[in-house]
Amino acid sequence: MAELEGEAGENVVVETRADQTGARIVSLSGELDSANADALDASLAPLTQERSAEVIFDLSGLRFMDSAGIAVLLGVAAKVNAVRLRDPSPAVRRVIELTGLSDVLRIES
Amino acid sequence: MTLERPSRPGVIALILGLVVTAALTVTALALYDRNETRLLKLSALELSSLLSAAVPTVQTPLVSAAELADATGGNAQKFRAFMAPYVGAGRQFQSASLWRLGDARPSPTAVVGAAPVLASLPQQAQQFFTHAKGSSQLSVTGILGSKTPALGYLYAIPGVGDGYGAYAEGLLPRNRRSRIASGSGFSDLNYALYLGRSRSHAELLLTSLRHFPVSGRQVSEVVPFGDSAFTLVVTPRESLGGAFFHSLPWIIAGVGVLLTLAAALITDRLARRRAHAEQLAVDLDRVATENQRMYTQQRGIAQTLQHALLPDALPALEGLSVSARYVPAASGIDVGGDWYDVVETDDNGVLLLIGDVSGHGLRAATTMASLRHAALAYAVQDSAPATVLAKLSDFVNSGEHDYFATVLCALIDVPRHTVTVASAGHMAPLLIDGDDGRYVEFHVDAPIGVASQSRYREALVTVPPNATLVAFTDGLVERRGEVLDVGLERLREAATGTDLELDELLSRLARELASAEHHDDTAIVGIQWQN
Repeated sequence: MAELEGEAGENVVVETRADQTGARIVSLSGELDSANADALDASLAPLTQERSAEVIFDLSGLRFMDSAGIAVLLGVAAKVNAVRLRDPSPAVRRVIELTGLSDVLRIES
Repeated sequence: MTLERPSRPGVIALILGLVVTAALTVTALALYDRNETRLLKLSALELSSLLSAAVPTVQTPLVSAAELADATGGNAQKFRAFMAPYVGAGRQFQSASLWRLGDARPSPTAVVGAAPVLASLPQQAQQFFTHAKGSSQLSVTGILGSKTPALGYLYAIPGVGDGYGAYAEGLLPRNRRSRIASGSGFSDLNYALYLGRSRSHAELLLTSLRHFPVSGRQVSEVVPFGDSAFTLVVTPRESLGGAFFHSLPWIIAGVGVLLTLAAALITDRLARRRAHAEQLAVDLDRVATENQRMYTQQRGIAQTLQHALLPDALPALEGLSVSARYVPAASGIDVGGDWYDVVETDDNGVLLLIGDVSGHGLRAATTMASLRHAALAYAVQDSAPATVLAKLSDFVNSGEHDYFATVLCALIDVPRHTVTVASAGHMAPLLIDGDDGRYVEFHVDAPIGVASQSRYREALVTVPPNATLVAFTDGLVERRGEVLDVGLERLREAATGTDLELDELLSRLARELASAEHHDDTAIVGIQWQN
């Protein structure tokens, strides 16, 4: 579990575990913005060692994410087999739709 | 612990403390000295008054015996009877005798106790009696003899002429030493008692001292005794005021030095801490000033660079107004990755490009610069938006990259009132027709650098006369904690229903929307048909 401070002094908390199918589940909670996006990117580096990996980002606890956060998710998506998003907020969901990322960052229902 | 140069306040505290300690010690020593001398004087006075009080015990029997002899015509028997109780071991005298004065060779006419030493010293005896005859007081011999030293006293009735004199001798200890009884009030004193007013060793009668001359603190008193006197010299055996007062100056000195050292150390440490804190404050101040300077400088460089990378001039076409704004983020020294371009394609149109590279800083700015130039180069070959984006995507994917870019590409045909638009992850532009505003609806594809496929979809949109097209980057609409649609709606409301010139409209949007929170760069490009 890592805690990374963001722009508004808010932290994003990262917790990683694996589910039954072997997919890695990364739970993000708090606020993710340009101030802590780089730190998050660095802390996710071990996940991208396996090209065949499947990564699920659980965003249910994430209150805010800006385009820098989207960029982190895209960075992971470019290096692994598949990335899925679980429970993104309406704001995140809308950014993904408006930026044509629905195919890259698939949202689990 | 490292040995450092002691601080100035520490040294001052040390010197001050030592000076105060020395002053206190000297004062205590002087007080002790004065007090000891005073006590010694008092003791000497008391001792001399005791001695004065003892004089009558010698004088009175002799005066009485002389008067008796005078009255009885020198009756030897009566003299012996009178003097017997005063003579013997443990009494006043060792020997008492009656002498007729005026004899050429004086000799005793009656003797009680031991034979007088004076009788064995005719020359001395003659001198003594010659001298004594004229005296009205008790006469005292010098110290007589050396084997068994003695002191003789004579009393003769004055004015009687060749009358009788009562004479007595007392023995002195052979070595003259006699200590004061340890229980007496004077046991803490040493003394020396001299005959006469001098302190000549030959005249020493009694002493408790072993070594002469008397050294150290001393007081002498003269006690009159007959026609002579005793000189009493007293000196303390130990401190008269007590051991504590004797040690007090040294206790003060010792404690003073210890306190001074402690105070100096504490002062030194405090002074060092203070100096350290002051230095730290100065350093922090300097660092802050330096940071401020660097920040201002870097921000200046970043903004200059950003502006240098954006187009100098926009095309001027008949029937079309073109305007653009770039608003850097309110804070931060990072250069954003936003860019735009509007270039003429042929006589009929312009190509609008607007994009945003992920990340900030010089890297994002240089990436932006290379994408911008590549896009302009591809647009010259084929200005179809989907083709430009596809080539740009291939360009990015052909090398290692860790960035993404959203790019909107719109080809505007001025006379036909059409817009051909394609987007790589970039938000759709706003189309304004008087009071009516809507975002152009078409399929937005993934950003450049994300997907390996490079197929982009185009849409052809026909616009009404005098329509305005506003393309922008996310800084204009994105707000923390807000769904993007809210920002889009805010922009739509601000941009529609006004009769502002395009230039004024963009200024207003930049001022009102881009400055609200402003943590991201913002680029705005507006295109307006003049008919």
